[in-house]
Amino acid sequence: MTIELAPHNKHSLTLAAPLLAGSGAVGYADAWPPGVTATMFGAIVTPPVSWRPRRGHPPGRLAETPAGFVLAAGDHNPGFRRVLDDHLPDWRRLTVPIIMALAGSAVEDWDRIAAHVEDEPAIAGLELHVAEGVRPVDVANWVGAVRRATTLPLLVKLPSAQAPALASPAVQAGADALVIGAAPLAAGLTAASARIEGPLAGPAVFPVTLRAVAAVAGLGLPAPIIAAGGIGRLADAELCFDAGAVAVQIRSLLWVDPATAVQLAAGLAGR
Amino acid sequence: MLQTTATLIERHTLGASQELRLQAPALARSLTPGQAVLVKTGWGVEPYLRRTFYPAGLDDESLTLRVPPGGDWGHAWLRTVAIGAQLDCLGPVGIGYSVPAGARNLLCLAEEDPATVAGSGCSAWALLPAIAAAADGGRGKPSAVTFAMEAPSARDLIPAHRLPAAVEYHTAVRARRAAGHPGGGTTSEGVAQFLPELLPWADVVLAAGSLAFYSSLATAVRAARYELTRGFAQALYPAAFLCGVGACQACVADLTTGRRRICQRGPVLDLLDVAG
Repeated sequence: MTIELAPHNKHSLTLAAPLLAGSGAVGYADAWPPGVTATMFGAIVTPPVSWRPRRGHPPGRLAETPAGFVLAAGDHNPGFRRVLDDHLPDWRRLTVPIIMALAGSAVEDWDRIAAHVEDEPAIAGLELHVAEGVRPVDVANWVGAVRRATTLPLLVKLPSAQAPALASPAVQAGADALVIGAAPLAAGLTAASARIEGPLAGPAVFPVTLRAVAAVAGLGLPAPIIAAGGIGRLADAELCFDAGAVAVQIRSLLWVDPATAVQLAAGLAGR
Repeated sequence: MLQTTATLIERHTLGASQELRLQAPALARSLTPGQAVLVKTGWGVEPYLRRTFYPAGLDDESLTLRVPPGGDWGHAWLRTVAIGAQLDCLGPVGIGYSVPAGARNLLCLAEEDPATVAGSGCSAWALLPAIAAAADGGRGKPSAVTFAMEAPSARDLIPAHRLPAAVEYHTAVRARRAAGHPGGGTTSEGVAQFLPELLPWADVVLAAGSLAFYSSLATAVRAARYELTRGFAQALYPAAFLCGVGACQACVADLTTGRRRICQRGPVLDLLDVAG
């Protein structure tokens, strides 16, 4: 079974499996939980990258919440050039497509990074992270700018709460596929009792994801939907497919229970 | 790193803490002292995050985890789980202690700080496997092992009978009294009182405690030995982990070398990197 994520793009983005390693789930394809291999995935999404290095959120980034956690990484990354210098040789050897995620906190970088990776065969596509609270017109402008800068397949990751309102502007501006969605922002206390804010992760998010996937699928847009957020079991993935997704991303499951992620991959491979 | 199922085979209650002995041969054999184990502490998705432990005992077949007192729901679950239960463990995480070949005089220094233990699992007890390995009299091992420990009360100190007989053991109760109470704001000296005598003699130092403890230790080393050199002292960084493989970036810390992932650079780091 193969899945085409960019059916209207000359490059195409074909997945051999309906499971993707979500943004940063396996680092830059250099941080593998035990038992997890690249062949489990149809594609691997990198952590969000910006033009310049970002130090991210100060230490004290993790807060446990009911059935999940808040992780405030703050788009910590060494900068676009360093990422390419360090990881392109390994990506070129991988048989699984690499999708480079672009940080939602650095939308001004998106088009020039996109232009730089246009001719790099090891990068199969881009995933644009749209932050919570943006306007539809902003999404259209940002995605449009990237579309003009590159012909690579574009995945646009939308915040779940706003996904129905932002999906159409994203597709009209050139998105090949939609990732639904970016987790809602939340707050929690770290182990040192400091209050932090960041995206919520884990099973607590799944009901939000499922509702957003169904709502966007109901729009009937000409773009495949990838479900992301809180998927922890084969049954969760099946619900997403029933709601209209063609593929699913996992992240926190890989960190917390890699053996279950391996089982999920095997279950999806046997569909 | 392995994800493995460990069988709970023994439980001992020591004051308000518990020690759990887990049978997990593959994991036990792959661990070195100072490396972390991440344990799932519930049957379902609550609590969702694994708890970080630094084993207090290691042999070829098993590892011993010390569950601290306190209200953490994961620790509370571990305190009630039945003998024979299967626990899901991930490990080893990171880099552990390493006693260099040729080191003759090993000095181990620890602080039992309840807040550090609750937040990160980093405890004085994490030094016990390193002490046991160093004091076994084997070829190439240190000829003398000294351990100095401080704790907020005498009952928080590691009992002497838990150490190999050959280890010289110094203890100190370091009472931090809250302002407003009789004697408020005063602090007894802790292991600092032993350091002017012990540090000049040591070839290598292994330490476990809070960041404040490491800062004091670095100051004491400079006072006793003129400078703190790389390779002289190793410190167990008090970090709790999420993925343990470097992907999530939850365990970053600001070291003297910059913002680093502790699961990749540590958790055992050169003291210069922690408090340089």
